[in-house]
Amino acid sequence: MFKKFEAIERELQNRYGKNRDPWGLEPKRAVADLKVIWPLYQYYFNVQVHGKEHVKNKPYMVVSNHTGQVPIDAMLICTAFATEIENPRILRPLIERFLTSLPFLGRWSSEGGAVLGDRLNCLNLLKRGESVLVFPEGVKGIAKNTKDHYKLQRFTRGFLRMAIASEAEILPIAVIGAEEFFPYVVHLKKLAKFFKIPALPLSANLIPLPSPIDIYIGEPYSLPKGLSPEALDEELEPHLILIEQKIQQLTEYGLKNRRTILQRLKQ
Amino acid sequence: MSDEQTKTKTMKSVLIIGIQGALAKITAELLIKKNHHIKIHGVDSREIENVPNRSQLTYQQMKYTRTNFEKMFREHQFDTIFHLGRLGHSPVLGNINKRIDINLVGTNTILELAQKFQCKKVVILSTHHVYGAHADNSMFLKEDAPLRGSFKYAELRDVVEMDQMCTNWMWKNQNQIETVVLRPCNIIGPQIKNSITQFLKTSYAPLPLDYNPMFQFVHEFDMANIIVESAEKLKTGIYNVAGDDVITLHEAAKIINVKKLKVPIVIVEQLAKILTPIWKFPHYLIDYLKYPSTLDNSELKKNLGEDIFRFTAKEALELLKSH
Repeated sequence: MFKKFEAIERELQNRYGKNRDPWGLEPKRAVADLKVIWPLYQYYFNVQVHGKEHVKNKPYMVVSNHTGQVPIDAMLICTAFATEIENPRILRPLIERFLTSLPFLGRWSSEGGAVLGDRLNCLNLLKRGESVLVFPEGVKGIAKNTKDHYKLQRFTRGFLRMAIASEAEILPIAVIGAEEFFPYVVHLKKLAKFFKIPALPLSANLIPLPSPIDIYIGEPYSLPKGLSPEALDEELEPHLILIEQKIQQLTEYGLKNRRTILQRLKQ
Repeated sequence: MSDEQTKTKTMKSVLIIGIQGALAKITAELLIKKNHHIKIHGVDSREIENVPNRSQLTYQQMKYTRTNFEKMFREHQFDTIFHLGRLGHSPVLGNINKRIDINLVGTNTILELAQKFQCKKVVILSTHHVYGAHADNSMFLKEDAPLRGSFKYAELRDVVEMDQMCTNWMWKNQNQIETVVLRPCNIIGPQIKNSITQFLKTSYAPLPLDYNPMFQFVHEFDMANIIVESAEKLKTGIYNVAGDDVITLHEAAKIINVKKLKVPIVIVEQLAKILTPIWKFPHYLIDYLKYPSTLDNSELKKNLGEDIFRFTAKEALELLKSH
């Protein structure tokens, strides 16, 4: 494990240097975080990444389904891209402003690479050659009741416009297994509104169950060159549907081949 | 004769408002260095001291009344005005009425008279505080970003209003007078005594443990140089002033090498309230210790060149340490 991280640290240092970037990423801290997350990633969640060969050494807009009540899926995708991909990189997840305003958590997340989900930030990051991670389902995706598990919510269009403006390819991703972290969930929407927080899930278990995670990386999707970032919603709709379909297909494939907690326990 | 010198020579009679400020004094020195035949008149409502002894520079302390300004404009026939006289916002720096009087009424009078006496150029120093520090701020705010500085803190109201008044006036009169509004990031230097410099230099000043926002710093010399250059080269418009490098608050404190008390932000907030009489720390700055308010500098660099900054933020902080 130490040798693995020495190599990753070297590669990340070559890529990012030693200094912080303008969004607060501190490469050294990010690697230290990875070392802490790795045992959870490897042994607790037993993550397996499929389709690594689709990731080349260039910036991507990584688009994923959002599952699991708390953004552990984002943490696992970021760990996969930093540790298991041929050209390791620190993915820049675009996060809610609610998170950036929180004491300690806001600081920790930005030092680890997270960035406020804002168009200008996203464009500037892609222009600098960074890959960003977006969840176009938003809070609707992550905060689902048990009966809606793995139902892909409609995507918002903002990410498409940013991908067009920056000419970045879209990398579709499906995470399977995260909905089983908290199998029985009820959302207290009114209370969440009262406390002015994005979601307030009430779960039977407080700690996420050790559900095995499969991350499926699809083939990159290039948007046509002539498409304008200011195109009408109707012009973007076919592309949005195609990307949703790609992630839906990856999800369905993943669900068919799903590894369950029970299987892991038996093993 | 270089093109730059020729342009500086078109400035014959210059008014600097706020001459008691360190930045104004450096600006005056730079103007004289570029053009020995220039005539500079500096005014301030504060007691004026330590002004460089130059034959080209005269100064007077006066109340910012219309009568006083009119008399001065008549006597000097200014062609260029540098308005660097915004009053700060430390709780110990005067009351709100005095600030509104200087920042709003005074500025309005100056702009009116600049038009009446046919000045050619007005340079106004605003601040990045007009944007406010918010959790949802983009990392590099452009000049057209909304001015949300006074959303939470009424004490910044006059700063935002002054900026808006100047920019409205600027566009309205753009055919008669060239006006430049500069919104600089944190100006630091051995001579500057603004709130953020004082905070960074104060031993055991509380530093938030749970937040570490990004900061931009511009050295006082670079700022003064940009003020002079803006009079020569910038067209009517608003320009953010910030270098390329961004640095965290904790890194900045580390470079200055002054011991800080690292505590959660809630304690910083309480200390700021309790220690107001002795700790000159404006309450609105608490938000700047939590959230970023960093500027996009592309417009400035497009017009003044890539090499306009002599000092990086780190170098500027290092220089602060050595003094």
